[in-house]
Amino acid sequence: MKKDADYVFYELTRSICPNCRRVIDAKVLLRDNKVFLRKRCPDCGPFEALVYADAEAYTAHSKFNKPGTIPLAFNSEIHDGSPHDCGLCPDHQQHTCLGIIEVNSSCNMNCPLCFSEASPGFNLTLEEVEQILDNYVRTEGNPEVVQFSGGEPTIHPQIIDFVKAAKARSIPFVMINTNGKRIAKDDRFLEQLNEVRPSLYFQFDGFDSETYRIIRGEPNILEEKLQALDRLAKIGLSVTLVPAIERGVNEHEVGKIINFAIQHPAVRGINFQPAFHAGRHMAHDPMNRITIPDILRMIEAQTAETFKVTDFVPVPCCFPTCNSVTYAFIDGDKITPLPRIVNVYDYLDYITNRVMPDWSIEIKGALEGLWSSSSVAGSQKSADQLAFSCQACGIPESFTVGDIAQHMIMIMLQDFMDPWTFNQKNLMKCCKEFLLPGGKQIPFCAYNTVGYREKARAQLEAAEPERKRARAEGRAYEPRPITFNFDQPAPQNDLRVLVP
Amino acid sequence: MNSEETVKQCCALLYESDFAKMLLGDSFHPGGVKLTERLGTLLRLTPRSRVLDIASGKGTSALFIGERFGCQVLGIDYSKQNVDYANALAESKGFAGRVSFRKGDAERLPLDDASFDAIICECAFCTFPDKPGAAREFARILVPKGRLGLSDLTRGPVLPKELDGVLAWVACIADAQPVVSYENYLVGAGFRIEHTEESNEALLEMVEQMRMKLLGVEILVGLKKLDLPGVDLSSAKQMAQAAQAAVKRGALGYAIICGVNG
Repeated sequence: MKKDADYVFYELTRSICPNCRRVIDAKVLLRDNKVFLRKRCPDCGPFEALVYADAEAYTAHSKFNKPGTIPLAFNSEIHDGSPHDCGLCPDHQQHTCLGIIEVNSSCNMNCPLCFSEASPGFNLTLEEVEQILDNYVRTEGNPEVVQFSGGEPTIHPQIIDFVKAAKARSIPFVMINTNGKRIAKDDRFLEQLNEVRPSLYFQFDGFDSETYRIIRGEPNILEEKLQALDRLAKIGLSVTLVPAIERGVNEHEVGKIINFAIQHPAVRGINFQPAFHAGRHMAHDPMNRITIPDILRMIEAQTAETFKVTDFVPVPCCFPTCNSVTYAFIDGDKITPLPRIVNVYDYLDYITNRVMPDWSIEIKGALEGLWSSSSVAGSQKSADQLAFSCQACGIPESFTVGDIAQHMIMIMLQDFMDPWTFNQKNLMKCCKEFLLPGGKQIPFCAYNTVGYREKARAQLEAAEPERKRARAEGRAYEPRPITFNFDQPAPQNDLRVLVP
Repeated sequence: MNSEETVKQCCALLYESDFAKMLLGDSFHPGGVKLTERLGTLLRLTPRSRVLDIASGKGTSALFIGERFGCQVLGIDYSKQNVDYANALAESKGFAGRVSFRKGDAERLPLDDASFDAIICECAFCTFPDKPGAAREFARILVPKGRLGLSDLTRGPVLPKELDGVLAWVACIADAQPVVSYENYLVGAGFRIEHTEESNEALLEMVEQMRMKLLGVEILVGLKKLDLPGVDLSSAKQMAQAAQAAVKRGALGYAIICGVNG
């Protein structure tokens, strides 16, 4: 008897072979209300991986896909076809919302989980960073967000100058992606941060020493992290916690991280990321990886439904299934996720094509704008008079508009594509790019999967002796543009898989 | 009437009258001082210029022009309240004598012939009922070869139907003109058009800010921190969305037009 397939063939896309990285066709399959990517490499055989643990949400979210914004300039031409023309090329479907600059490759930790495979190799010069920023301004006009990453960017001797260079180019959100170690101990560095005032994107995977032993190789690091966060609170810098959630390691800590974030004065947001299996990572089972819907369910269960799965909405800027986000207002013990009181979908197209790392700052601006503008509109009403009138409407005496934004927390979930889950359709809408000397901008999930990182790293390291010479001789360093050529086969990925 | 009713009524009055203004900002002026600066540069203002700001509102642009270009500025506004406010502001900022404000009607300026070197008129011309008359007044009070800089809302040849609501809501958009119409008014009054440039981005930014403010209002209402009886939030949202779409496809825009007198 003929049988039906146990899946729905949802769509055809392109992916890469997780082994030899050749570009191959891939099928998106819906099975048991989950989404899988199935593909076959002529040399290396068949592969299948879990993409999204909620097929209903996956298909429903597709409708939030909106037209992208075209950058002012491109840095590469269409030649070999996606994903080998990145730069961005004119075939890309979104501009760069978030530009990431890896300023060094060294780190003061040696995490078993590290997609950038941090180790000594290169330290960008100020000339390189300035050139990268100028190029970013050229393609974006008014770039909104730049993130300095690494390696560990805080151990780069010129990181403060880099932040200044970004601020000098009127980029409103300058972030440093850090493990917090230097911030915990170095008073002078804390003072410098206080002067240049970046936001912090702060590695924070939970509270158990076992979590930190497995993911970070340092079972006792929690104390340092807490110290760093308290010190950041003292100088009033805002922090987004970035937990990597790994199967069988820290799934149980999701709720505790949220409670901690709500209470900690420095923390304005959380960015949960399923542990990213590219670069250096632990062995994993691609059919049983953690996806966004898994973390959403953990959040609902572990916060006693303070946050529910339905409180989260897709982010239409990049591909809608790559991120989910919610915002909540915290008033003492009362926590109100905004989607319960506001029809967020009315505004989703507004946040299209921009990913604000701290949306609450915008909301705060809007709220303050309401007051200051109405205080001078038409009549002589002063802000005080208006505030008084609104007190009459039931605003508590101590309450100011700024409080609302101060008491807002963002919870975002972000799932990067690894060589197993790589989907070219998502990639082409990616809005988070690595910015390189010479101007190339490479989408996050191409940089870490297709072979760009290895090629860039080799060139960045090859230039290090010349950088050192320039530094020693006290002369300006002439940046060398990073270029890519995929004619030669990429080095094979190191497959660490539990279940073949 | 119980006290709760009184409070609600008071708030209703406040917001019915001010809701739109609250969303639009203290003056409907896309681009802010950045665009004012652009206008000043195009008008080639110097410390020796005598500048007239027509519909000067709260005096923000006049004070900015006075400070940035070091020139003498007179602001004219229809509202005495605005004039008093702006004069007090000029004094407190130490500009008294150089930047001042008077009450007046743009269509019948209480000023001598050929008494100014430059005129700026930001986002106000479209609201004047007698546009040819206003343009003639501009020509009259400018010296020969004096420059006029308008910045104003523009629209495509046909105004889309879905903007009807927006127009009723923000009266000043109602008589926005295509760029060429503005040019024709000026040419009709004897100006030579020297420069025209679009600044739709500034308008888009402003509409986006409006939508953000609406979100702020909705949050406050949802948290029960604010009571807005009589304000129809959902149609306000729809109108803002329609306005944004119109700007994006070029049905509504913003432009700077500079003309030379005579």
